[in-house]
Amino acid sequence: MNEQDAKRRRSERPVKKKKDAALTAPKKLKLLFTVVDRKKAELYADLLSEYSVNLQIVLAGEGTAKTETLRLLGLDDTERAMIVSVIRDDKAPAIFEMLGEKFESVRGGKGIAWSVPMTSAVGVAIYQFLSDYREGQLPPQGQTKGGNGK
Amino acid sequence: MTFSHECIVCIVNTGFSDAVMDAAREFGARGGTVIHGRGTVSREAERFFGITIQPDKELVLILVPRDLTDKILHALYRAVGLKTPGQGIAFSLPVDQVVGLSTFSAEENGEQKDAAGSTEPND
Repeated sequence: MNEQDAKRRRSERPVKKKKDAALTAPKKLKLLFTVVDRKKAELYADLLSEYSVNLQIVLAGEGTAKTETLRLLGLDDTERAMIVSVIRDDKAPAIFEMLGEKFESVRGGKGIAWSVPMTSAVGVAIYQFLSDYREGQLPPQGQTKGGNGK
Repeated sequence: MTFSHECIVCIVNTGFSDAVMDAAREFGARGGTVIHGRGTVSREAERFFGITIQPDKELVLILVPRDLTDKILHALYRAVGLKTPGQGIAFSLPVDQVVGLSTFSAEENGEQKDAAGSTEPND
């Protein structure tokens, strides 16, 4: 058997296709800011932690609404908490839906939340932590390189 | 990609958050959140430039409709910019989703926008 025959046989071999699951793009991340009454901070932090949120920072803040407005509404308390959470892009719709519903239904739990897209994160382990990476859920390490896979 | 709202972050010396909100309200902002922080600065740079930076800071976060951002940032620059006692810096971040804004905010902002549009900047 000469070299040309060997080459031809190699080219005729069926090519093994990679599994589709391995081609899934990494999840993008967002920074979610939730401003609520300070007494309700723990409640909202707990609610958010149910949505694959691994990192949350609760900051003590103050609202700036005018005193007259507050007095009219019976809301003299200006103490607020700002919860900064790193969320996954694919979880955002569910999180916003949950927050919208809770802002309406929880007594004294009115608040506001918004998200800012994150453009990069450095380190595979950091990305896996922030995106709540679990074995088999996301592509292998090599494909998560470069942060959020933008 | 364009979004409907932006988050203005203004970092000023402690005690100037009211000045920030006053300037922002003038151009249609409705409310904000103040967080106390501590700034860090290079001691060597301070000595070199012959200035002292007050370390206690206030961060004011204001969520505003996108079309008001430029006007408010300009107002903040004039009211609490680096050349004022507030020694503030301000920047905006794109906001892709919002929940919890009052339902009448759009209407009210529209009125304020008109009012803001008729005011010419001084400089």
